[in-house]
Amino acid sequence: MKVVTGVVGNDIHVVANRLIDLSLRARGFDVFNLGVNTYLEEFFDAAVETGADVILISSLNGEAEGWGREVRAIKSRYKTLDDIIMMIGGNLVVGSGNAEDIEPRYKNYGFDIVCHQIDLNTGLDMLEEFIKERNNP
Amino acid sequence: MSQNVDKQPEQAGNKLFIDVGSTYFKVSTPTSIEQHFRDFNKTILDDLMHKCGSTVDQFAKEDIYICSSANGGLSTLLIGITNSFSIKYATNIAFNSGINIIDTVLLQNIEEYSIPSDLIDVVIIVGGTDSHGNIFNDSLYNYVQQLNYSNIVYVGTQQDAARVQENIPGLVVLPNIIDDRLHIVEEHLKEYLTNLYQQDIEGKEDIKHLYEKTANQIFSTPYIVNKALPLIDASFTVANPFILLDIGGATTDVHYSKDLVDENIVTENEYDRLVFKKLGVYKSRQSLIFAAKNNEFVYELLMHLKVTENIFNEHDEKATKILMQLAIFLVLCKMSHYRKAYITLKLLSINSIVFTGGITKVLSVAEVEDIIAFFYKKILTSDHKPTAILDTNYDIWTLGAKEKNLCR
Ligand code: B12
Repeated sequence: MKVVTGVVGNDIHVVANRLIDLSLRARGFDVFNLGVNTYLEEFFDAAVETGADVILISSLNGEAEGWGREVRAIKSRYKTLDDIIMMIGGNLVVGSGNAEDIEPRYKNYGFDIVCHQIDLNTGLDMLEEFIKERNNP
Repeated sequence: MSQNVDKQPEQAGNKLFIDVGSTYFKVSTPTSIEQHFRDFNKTILDDLMHKCGSTVDQFAKEDIYICSSANGGLSTLLIGITNSFSIKYATNIAFNSGINIIDTVLLQNIEEYSIPSDLIDVVIIVGGTDSHGNIFNDSLYNYVQQLNYSNIVYVGTQQDAARVQENIPGLVVLPNIIDDRLHIVEEHLKEYLTNLYQQDIEGKEDIKHLYEKTANQIFSTPYIVNKALPLIDASFTVANPFILLDIGGATTDVHYSKDLVDENIVTENEYDRLVFKKLGVYKSRQSLIFAAKNNEFVYELLMHLKVTENIFNEHDEKATKILMQLAIFLVLCKMSHYRKAYITLKLLSINSIVFTGGITKVLSVAEVEDIIAFFYKKILTSDHKPTAILDTNYDIWTLGAKEKNLCR
């Protein structure tokens, strides 16, 4: 399984990104890490170049919402990404927010897995579960 | 800051350097620089000998070094699969090899592109990391079949190389320019393109004759200029970081240092190059005027320069001056967020802009700085004022030619 990951927008919080890279590798994923400061197009472009199965976006500084709204529009310009798994985590709103509101909103933006302030290992378990279910419905 | 006149470039021994451009040629001896307008009714050699024969004849064949951009460089069409990686990387390598890009095609939409009618010197096909395959298919082969090209090279995923090669006769396969961390790998494609350019220069009838006068290899001018950049402090007091603009008769070249771009491209070059193909004041005059008319700030600029649009129909010295000033403005626009080319330079961090080429013979430092200030104010809404440095004596090119010749 190939995963493209990075921190979206002008966000420079790098610590989680490093941990995500390591944890994904430890779980046997092929990781293409775009690092901090990554624009949405670059995530999708990287998925096209690598044939990735998953795009895992993190956002810490509060920019997520703005980018989230763009996902459907930008993704619709690509002809080969219909089946890609879209995942996002970190701090998905400014301030603490309420996961019950946040999750459906982000699903509406086009994400399959939404992890607002969820710890990394729990999030990656969710990803593996999602993949398993998709493969054996 | 003005040009540092007391620091003359070190004398280049008893050597003669000749640069043949699309509009001018320059001849540099250890003590003088001559520049002449090309006479297009004569071959380059006849023209050169007619105007500077006595100078040329004073030097032995071994001591004469020639570079040329007279052929306008090679043209390429890029076919890639994304703008942020394959197309961007190939663009970077092509520009750094002295090649001009006539078009880029995004594979997923390839059926929507029209077929360029011109003969393309080299088609580049790129896309995918080596861990990905089955990217290229019939839509690519159909498109390529309709193109009119001299060379075609594949630098995409190695998984698809054999199949693409079966379907495209004459395809040259080189290692992927994208590695498995999505980073750029330049060397193979760069070497291939640089060699093509070199062969092209040598193959041109006009240039071939020049070998009657030199025993040394004739290089491309952008290659020589790029060689000079790390040495620029030797002749000028340049405040880093700087960009270098070579506004010529047919094209405009921009050389910039790597710290001026925020990019996902990590290369080992200290300086990269970017070309605006149809931006020049003689051969590309019409397309320059077209670009100017489509820029909403140009009328304000013309007003600022106290002329009207009628200047576009005139051909006197004043009109040339204005066109050169417009060219500076348009190039700066193209490198800014305002009219984004494939990269955006951090123009607010630039401390100097070095100008070389014919423009230095026509405009004064004040006239250039006036345009720079106008650009920063109008487009970047900033009072930042990088200093203009004019390479009036072609020191940069002499430095590059010398550097090239010293490394050999
Ligand atoms: C260190 C830090 C900085 C450093 C960053 C240094 C660096 N290069 O990394 C500096 C000082 C530069 C900085 C700057 C800013 N920061 Co700051 N920063 C922090 C801080 C203190 C720690 C972040 C950290 O590294 N944590 C350790 C890592 C391991 O944890 P983590 O990032 O939370 O990631 C975990 C989870 O979120 C999760 N995770 C992350 N991504 C994903 C993705 C998925 C899919 C999953 C499942 C899980 C997951 O996994 C990680 C491990 O469990 C936090 C506060 C805090 N205590 O969290 C604020 C914080 C993130 N920063 C914040 C802000 C606002 C800023 C600034 C805007 C401040 C400013 N006004 O200038 C700037 C923004 C700069 C920019 N352009 O991005 C806010 C964000 C608020 C929000 N979202 O509403 C925080 C939360 C502080 C706060 N409480 O206000 N910051």
